[in-house]
This record gives sequence, C-alpha cells and structure tokens, in this order.
Amino acid sequence: MIRTSFGLILLFAVIAAACVAFGAYFSLVTLQTAHRKAVETRFGVTAERIVASAQTAAGLGIALPAQITLADLTRREARLDEAILSIDIIDTHDKVLFSSDPARITDSDGSRPANAVTRRIENDLAATIGRVVVRYNPGVLAEGESALEGELQTMAMPTLIGSAFATILIGVLLAAGLGRAAKRAADPSQWPRAARSALAEAEAAHAGVRGGERP
Amino acid sequence: MIGLRAGISLAIAVILCGALAAIGFAARDAVERTIVPAIAAQAESVGRSAASLVESAIAAGVPMDRLVGVESYLESLRTANRELAELKLVDIAGRSLGSAGAPPEDDHATQVVTSVTARNGAPLASLIITIDPGVVSDQVNALLVDVAFIGIVSLLVALELVALVVGARGTEALAALESRVRSLSQGRLWMHTDAAEQLPFVAPIDKHVALLHARHEKARAEAARRGDTEAVLNLDALSARTGLGTVHAGENHAATVIRPALFLFMMAEELARPFLPRLAGTMAPANLDLSRDLAISLPIVVFMAAVALSQLPFAVLSERLGRRRGFVIGAALAALSYAGSAFATDYWLFLATRATAAIGYALVFVSAQGHVIDHSRPQERTAALAVFVRAIMVAGLCGPPIGGVLADRLGDHMAFFGSATLAVLGLLVAALSMPRSVPVRDAAGVSGADLMAALKAPRLAALLFGCAFPAKFLLVAICFFLVPVELQRQGYSAAAIGRLQMIYPILMVAAVPLFASLAERHDARAGFVLTGGLVAGGGALLLLFGTSPWIVAAVLALLGLGQAMSIAPQSALVAESARHMPGGRSAGVLGLFRLIERTGNATGPAAAGFLLATAGFASASAAIGLMVVLGALGFALSGRSRASGQDRAGPGAATSTEGSRV
Repeated sequence: MIRTSFGLILLFAVIAAACVAFGAYFSLVTLQTAHRKAVETRFGVTAERIVASAQTAAGLGIALPAQITLADLTRREARLDEAILSIDIIDTHDKVLFSSDPARITDSDGSRPANAVTRRIENDLAATIGRVVVRYNPGVLAEGESALEGELQTMAMPTLIGSAFATILIGVLLAAGLGRAAKRAADPSQWPRAARSALAEAEAAHAGVRGGERP
Repeated sequence: MIGLRAGISLAIAVILCGALAAIGFAARDAVERTIVPAIAAQAESVGRSAASLVESAIAAGVPMDRLVGVESYLESLRTANRELAELKLVDIAGRSLGSAGAPPEDDHATQVVTSVTARNGAPLASLIITIDPGVVSDQVNALLVDVAFIGIVSLLVALELVALVVGARGTEALAALESRVRSLSQGRLWMHTDAAEQLPFVAPIDKHVALLHARHEKARAEAARRGDTEAVLNLDALSARTGLGTVHAGENHAATVIRPALFLFMMAEELARPFLPRLAGTMAPANLDLSRDLAISLPIVVFMAAVALSQLPFAVLSERLGRRRGFVIGAALAALSYAGSAFATDYWLFLATRATAAIGYALVFVSAQGHVIDHSRPQERTAALAVFVRAIMVAGLCGPPIGGVLADRLGDHMAFFGSATLAVLGLLVAALSMPRSVPVRDAAGVSGADLMAALKAPRLAALLFGCAFPAKFLLVAICFFLVPVELQRQGYSAAAIGRLQMIYPILMVAAVPLFASLAERHDARAGFVLTGGLVAGGGALLLLFGTSPWIVAAVLALLGLGQAMSIAPQSALVAESARHMPGGRSAGVLGLFRLIERTGNATGPAAAGFLLATAGFASASAAIGLMVVLGALGFALSGRSRASGQDRAGPGAATSTEGSRV
C-alpha cells in the first residue's frame, strides 16, 4: 500500500510537470505564431503597396510584363527596409518579371520559400495575373523567436520543478493522513466521531434486545 | 474526508492553475517586449514608404506646399492598417501639409516619426504616425486569451491523465481503503465487497464491521423470534441510519474505466479537425467535376455519413463481438486508416481512408457507450453517461489546438501519424483496462418493424424527436453555422469567432457532471431533459433582441448550460427505455437514438442555411430555438398524457421515478 501510494505520488508529480511543460510549449508556439504574423504583416504592407500599383496599371490595360516601372518600385521599397532580401514580381508561369535583386530576373521560381510573404495581383475580373513575393531575412524572425523562448523558459523551468515538488509534498501529506486514518479505522475506539456514535447506538440496541429491553 | 486520489487530483488542478497563470504572466511580458515592437515596426515601414514617396515627388520638382492627394493617400494607408490612429505630414515649421484619422484619447500612445529629406539630406518635413494603443491592446488581449485557453487545455489533459492513473487496476487497494475510511467518517457501518477484502490495511476494518453485522443480525433474529415487532422496526431503522446489515457494492467504475481510452481515441480524430479542410483543398485534383468548396467538405461529409449509417448495425455488432473486442477492433481500424490518410496522395484514396476511419470511430463509440450502459446500475446511469460525454467533450476541446500545432510543425499529412499514435494508445489502454468481452451470441438484429415497435416504448418517440433530434440540430445550426456566419459578416476575425465558440464546450465539460449528479440525486432525469431543452432553445430567442457579440455569447452560454443539463439524462432515459424492449433488441434502440441525433447534426447546417437566406440570422436562430422549446414541451406533455392515462389503469400500476409509468 505504501509502495502504491508513493508510486502514485511520483506519477502524479510527473503528470503535473509534463502538463506545465505542455502548457509552456503550446504557449510558446502560440506566441511565436503571433510574432511571425506581426512580422509578416509588415512585409505584407509593402507587398500590398506594390500590388495596388500593379493592379492600377493593369486596370489601365497595361499587361504585367509591360509594367516596367515596377522594377524601380521594387528596388525603392526593398531599400526602405533592410530586413527585405528581395521583392519579386512573378507571373502566372512562375517567371520572375521584375525584382529588386536583378540577379533573380528571368529565374523560374515556382517554389514557396519559407521566409517570404506573397500577395496575388489580380485584374479587374479578379483573375490572378501574377504575384508579389517579399523575401525577408530569417534573422528577423529568429531574433524574436529566441527572445520569446528565453522569456518563457525562464518562467517555465522553475514553475515546472515547483509544480512537481508541490504535488509530491501534498501527496505525501495526504498519504500520511490516509495512513493515520487507516490505523485509526482498525481500532473501533479510535473511529471517527460519526462512526463511534453509530457504533454506540448499535451496541445499545443490541444490548437492549439481549436484555429483553426495547432498543 | 478527502481521499489520496481525489485530494491529489484537486491539488494538481490547483497547482497547475497557479503554474499556468505564472506562465501566462510570463507570456504577457514576452508579448510586451517582442510582439508589440513588431507591431510598431509595421508603422515604421508604412512611414518609410510614405516618406520615400514624398521625397520622390519633391525630387521630381513638386514644391512641398503644392503636393496633391496627400490626405487621400494617408487615409488609404490608415484604412489598410487599423493599428494606425493618425497619420500627419508636417513641414519643418510644424505646419500640417495633410493628415488622416484622429489622435487616440490615450496620452501615452506611441508615435513613429519619419523624416522626409532632400537628396542632400536636409530635412524637409516629418511624417508622424500615432499608433492606436486600443488596437494593440486588443491584439495582445486576444493573444493572452489564446494562452489562457492553452492553460485550460493543459489542465484538462492533466485531469484525464490523472483519471487514467486513478482508474488503473493497481490502485484498487487504495480505493478500497479510502472507501472504508470515508464510510466510517460518515457514520456508515456497511460491509464492503470488493477485491481488496483480504489486504492487510483493509482486513482489520472489515473484521470489526463484520462482527458488528453478525451481532446485529443475531439481535434482529432474537427480536423477531420473540415477536417484538417494535424492536425489529427499531433495529431496521438503525440499519437504515447506519448501514448495518447492508452490503455496499462499492463505487461503479464502468465509466471511469472507459474514460481514458475513450479520451485518447476521440482526441485522435479531433486532432485532424483544424487542418482537414486545408489538406482536402490541396489534395483535390484541379480537374474534379465538383466545386472546390464541395471537394473540401467531402471528407467531412463522408466521415459524418459513415458514422451515422454505422450506428444501427454496429449497436448489434458491438454486442455480438463484446464491448472490449469491439473497441479494440474499431480503434485498430481507425489507427490503420489514419496511417493510410498520412500516406495517401490521391484524393479518392484519402476519402476512402476517411470512410474507414469513420467505421472504426463508430464501432469504438458504440462499444464504449454499450460498456457504460451494460456495467452501470440504473440509478448510476446518468452520472456514468456524463463521464462518457465529458471524455468526448474534453477530447473535442484539447484535440484541435494540439492538431493545429502538429500540422504547423510536421505538415498536414504527418499530423495524421499523431492521430494514429493516439488511436493505438487508446486501443492499448482499452485492452488493458476494460473487462473481458462477453459476447452476446444471440444479440438480435434490428428490422424496421422492431424500430417502429421501439418507438412505441413509453415517451421514447417524444424523447427522440422532441429532444434528441432538436438538440443536435440546434447545436450544429447555431453554434457551428449561424453564429460564425453572422460574426464574420459583422467583421470579426476567425480567431475571435473561434474563441467565442469555445464557450459551449467549456461549459459542457464543466457542467455535465454537475447536472448529471443533480439529476440522479433528485431522481429527475425527465425534468432535466425538459429544462435543458427550454434553456437551450429559449436562449436562441434572445437573438430577437439583438445580435451583438455579448448577446451571441449569452446564447452560446445558455446553449452550453441547457445541453449540459439534458445530454446525460437524455442518454440515460433512452438506455432505460431500451432495457424494456422485448427480445433483447435494446442495442437497436440505442443505435436508433444515435442515428436520429446524427441526422440532426447532418440536417442542421442545410436547414440553417435555407432559413438564413430566407429569414435572416435573428429570425432563423429564433425559429430553430422555438422548435427546440416546442419539442421539449411536447416531451413534457407526452409524460403528462401517459401518466394521466395510466392513472385510470388503477392504483396497482407501477410508477416510475420520472412521474410516468414504465
């Protein structure tokens, strides 16, 4: 019984620690996702400005490959934010038409890079005619993510250890209480008050019947 | 007296609340230091771009005070970035050259100033952007609500793991000792019959109590021999007060035993919920003769249809196989199907794996429900079914966020391996914890005539069509369809809608055991089913007074409370009706019950869509709420008419505890 109790207490301590770790990890993932969203919104704003220009020109009948001012626009927007690696204007055949990085022009880029924000360019009929891809420095994300990780880890580790120890402490106290209660329960003179009262009532009733009295 | 198991469960809940609150505070600090600056960087980006445009205009020869379209340009930037409260272009003398928006009321609002310079670097003007602290604070608060929800999920997972340990066979001795100590502390001197009678901690207690019982029996026999009726009556009253002469059968563990296995298995399916539509969308071939929306929803429709159609035949199959075998076979089939879904690259093959997963799911569901009903005494059935319902609801709460993270980190296909792993774990836990299968070889199949006969069971038709069907119809129509559509129309984000929808399952998880226990204690299952229907249906009528998020939240809260009141007593009433079916066709009644419920699930969105198009959100919701209220009243009236009809049958007729005759 003692072994079972202590085994249980240890198991509960592991569960408590594991669930704190689980909560901390999922909180970290949630914050990292929110951070990525906040960072990418910034590059999304840049991409949307270029999309707006391209769509305005398309609305005036200028085909995307003919929008040569987009080259200057991408270069100007890329210069404004040092975290931007390149801004590409890509057609529906995945061909890079214009880019802030001239080396990327005419590259066929059908890939979906990990650290990039994409916005579609549509014509007046809402058909996709191309897309703007802003590739950004992954260091921007990594910096924030590791800061978040550090902050949460600082709190999670002592909390995790504290939870396990608190569970063990309360478990030991409860087990000791149960052990004492078990010992008292083995001796009717030490039973809890309600049980002693019931016992006294029963003994009186039984004695009454034995003695011919009514209980 | 609180036992070791209950005490430590409570302690873990309290400790985890404290620990997760500490992590929540850390998360808040981290958000302030990391994410809020990222939001400010967005304003800087906007400022740099706008300043650059002005510089280009000036470089092209446009004088500073002749710039045109400044205000409309700034306004377009403000509209596109709702974090920006005010944008203002001022020259070096501080004169405004154009502005959009208004400064926020908060004096401490962050300002981002970007200089507009000439080619030689001389300052010409400044673009001042004021960030709206209210919008940033809303974003931070929404994030903290998400973190708090993760805390709730962690706590629920912990409690399920604790239940798994507490329900393990190794703790039987501890449970026996706790049960005896608790009885004594309540002044109950009854005998306990369980597997732990000979254990060293328990035997001395049992020995004293057994001696007392023997004396009591002897005294009663003596009084009876003497013909002392009053003494016999007094001794019997003593028995009733103290439990002397009574053998206590111990706690019923039917639901406790199945809970961890069911939780693990149900979570396996729930993991896929957040990424399934996205995965189906990417797998659907471009040349498919179906609309894209239909192709995305088809895996869900196939799953739901296969589960619904399997309910009736599997109710009987599960009896024939035995509950444990049924659970294990169902979980194995589902696990293989999840692995198949992980490997499938073809859309149609993927659909096939979803169908087989549904068949496994239905067999597990029916077997687990059958186990709870088979192994619980009638007076404990509502509470046992509440544990069953709770395991499913908790899995529904915990699965999607975990599945979402798995899919983000591992990919959608690989996340299905998470489902397969959980299904295998559920299988193992069921195989180890459930009692050996006792197959019912002559379990009768169910024909249409049998089902018609079943519907003639007392109040069953009114219960199924007046309460069970409308309850699921209301849930799916309001919570899963009309509310998201309406809130989306009002401009709320998917995340905000998702947070509001969480009101329903959280209330269900918290309140189902409480109401089930109250229904048992007051012996009023029918009353709880009726009240639950009135509360849930009546709640939807609130939408006639407005459709603000607060009213929607109140509707969802009343839906959760109402269904928490009715769900377990309703299942218990059906199980009770099924017990009275002649010819051993009880499984068919349970299958019929689940089939009708799932028909409500399936028809809810379609009917709600039609009503939304014809009557609008508030009227559609109110009409559905009214249907639920009328259904519940119909159920109440069926009890009255039956009771009054049988009152005429004479005083000898048996009266059930529900107020109707059985």
